[in-house]
Amino acid sequence: MKIVHYVNQFFAGMGGEDSAGTGPEMRDGATGPGRKLASLLGDEHEIIATALCGDDYAASHPDFAATLVTQAKERGAEMVLAGPAFTSGRYGMACARMAAAASEAGLPALASMHPENPGLGEAAGTAVVESGLTARQMKDSLERFATAALIVAKGEQLTAKDGRIGPVARVNRFAERNAAERAVALVLTRLQGDRQATEIPLPDFDQVTPAAPIENAADATFALVTEGGFVPFGNPDRLESARATKWVRYSLDGLDSADEGEFMSVHGGFSTVWANADPNRILPLDIARKLEQEGAIGRLHGEVLATTGNGTTVADARRFGMEWAADLRQQNIQAVILTAT
Amino acid sequence: MSAEAGLTRVVHDVRELGLGESTSYEAGRLTVGEQSMLGLLRDPAFAEVRLGVASPGDSVRIVGVLDAIQPCSKGPGGGGVFPGLLGPAMPVGRGTTHVLRGAAVLAAGFLPRAQEAVIDMSGPAAPLSPLSNTHNLVIEWTPAENADWGDIDVALRKGLVRVAAHLAEAALDAEPDAIEEIADPATSTPNGKPRVGVILNLQTQGKFKDVFVYGRSMSGGLATVISPGELDDGAVVSGQFGHPALKNPTFLHQTHPVVAALRASDDLELAALILCPEPVDQANKELVSAHAARLCKSLKLDAVIATKEGGGNADADVSLKMDRLEEEGIMAVGILAEMAGRDGTGPPLVVPPTKATALVSTGNYDERMILPAVERALGRPRIALLDQDSTDEVELPVAAIYCAQSTLGWGRLTCAEPELAGA
Repeated sequence: MKIVHYVNQFFAGMGGEDSAGTGPEMRDGATGPGRKLASLLGDEHEIIATALCGDDYAASHPDFAATLVTQAKERGAEMVLAGPAFTSGRYGMACARMAAAASEAGLPALASMHPENPGLGEAAGTAVVESGLTARQMKDSLERFATAALIVAKGEQLTAKDGRIGPVARVNRFAERNAAERAVALVLTRLQGDRQATEIPLPDFDQVTPAAPIENAADATFALVTEGGFVPFGNPDRLESARATKWVRYSLDGLDSADEGEFMSVHGGFSTVWANADPNRILPLDIARKLEQEGAIGRLHGEVLATTGNGTTVADARRFGMEWAADLRQQNIQAVILTAT
Repeated sequence: MSAEAGLTRVVHDVRELGLGESTSYEAGRLTVGEQSMLGLLRDPAFAEVRLGVASPGDSVRIVGVLDAIQPCSKGPGGGGVFPGLLGPAMPVGRGTTHVLRGAAVLAAGFLPRAQEAVIDMSGPAAPLSPLSNTHNLVIEWTPAENADWGDIDVALRKGLVRVAAHLAEAALDAEPDAIEEIADPATSTPNGKPRVGVILNLQTQGKFKDVFVYGRSMSGGLATVISPGELDDGAVVSGQFGHPALKNPTFLHQTHPVVAALRASDDLELAALILCPEPVDQANKELVSAHAARLCKSLKLDAVIATKEGGGNADADVSLKMDRLEEEGIMAVGILAEMAGRDGTGPPLVVPPTKATALVSTGNYDERMILPAVERALGRPRIALLDQDSTDEVELPVAAIYCAQSTLGWGRLTCAEPELAGA
């Protein structure tokens, strides 16, 4: 099989964080860990090209994956492999997105990362195989990756025994009885001593370690972001009022206040009457400007990033968070105020 | 059983529905007298009111569905049903109630904060709504100039209950299809079977997202115990128009499926119905949950089934109660919908319980489906969410289908990993 292998800027040998803004590109042949991976895959398979992208770019431009998959197909790729990303979050997300985009385009695909990588949820049901924690475990990780890739290449299902990780899609279906009757049956089952029976396995949520406090607010650049459905009046980009699939960005340059008639909230989860009468109460631009003028904070970032947090899927919310974090890091922001509704 | 000890439900099946000169019920056919209905719906908030009919199997889509009500009556003049809205605000749930089973009165159109709810009367989405299976009188309206949206909401709620009571009065003298005797847990003798309570969480998020008990919001209140028979008589009326798939319309309170399943159980006793508000802030969610668990303890319950209304926020109201109940030594089962993302791989619950684990699923809210084009639409001519005509082929998440995942548990929709589903 002709394979395209995805790596980030670091494993492509282009450098670390300073090169994280590199855009998507294709290189002939295997690069970095791809060389060892190619030898493990044997003579029947060939890594014809390496797809690469900087981690920040990939996090803030979700279409990078579709771009690279299109180019891979043009080069005749028959399978896409991505990683291993270990526990690197942005790289893991990029690998998961590459694998998901390749699946979407009809190519077999496999990503490799550690089970605790926050990007794992982005694979959207595409197979992911377990890697070690760090690049120190590169050798073992590549061996497991290659073994799993050979299974996927044969068109077979990767299972937990093969090191498959990540969520398996849950699918709607009709039960024999209605939910009320099943609840009554579950009461009986439980009262009879079964302590396990349930229809919904309890989810594990990843824990986020808070960043260290900033040392001096007066030296820091602050950004205002919100999930309050904050948009310019008229909602020009049609941000959704519920189950948002995107976020939007708008300039705050030259504005001292978010005035009625200039901004509004499209959030569908609460009455927006008061928010629309004074949009500063969704995005505290008036107070933030005052603090900036008083010197209490160093500088206010010139853009707001906004979405609607109402029935939003965890996968989308995680993606927004990672994209925002990457975007704000690139802009050299030290502190962020997220107004939640 | 004496009338004092419970409720006698006299059932008249509706198998056909049409508009006509005057209201009548005969041999399963309900004819709606158009002029008298419009008279019942007259209100300064409306410039015009229109009536439409949609029956199971019709190529009809109803868009912007607000509330739905099962016609019921305790006698001429509308007294005794929908207390606090139609009759006086005094306890109901005893005596005799006539119901038109298989019929419903719906309002469909625009209200602020109302998320667009869709019912298809035929096709792949029909099995997802309990109101696809009823003969529906659909009320549409044009607001009066400068009418306040709150006044329109009140006029609709009062109009719907008036129409529902009036329609059922047409069947008062008809030969019933069934007579059902319903015991009141308060007056029935304990039979030694495990005592199971039903916690019915009611959304209390202000105008257009509120539920009325005897005509009053539960906002700011604590858990309260009522007789399940009070639900049959319309003591709980919905004014909650968010989260279409997770809506619990008045129709589902009147026919509460968990109450019905426990009434039908040979092994368990329906011991109590506990109404709880769903506060918007965490401290009050915790208070209401802990208080409800104490109340269940004082009722000597062995187990409780808890339901919710609303999206992820309301997961907390079920989960906190389940945890507090388990701490009180009461086994808790929750009925919840999953919000696992379009591909079904996300965490299924927003706020899961930490101690309790017994959950029943009403399916994944985010999974999408194609609804084929239909011949006609009622309620709203366009689906604003999609910017498409209401009669078009549309792709929607299950979340948009009216009551598709109601945790009152009428439906068979659930969710599982394919291996477990045997798919």
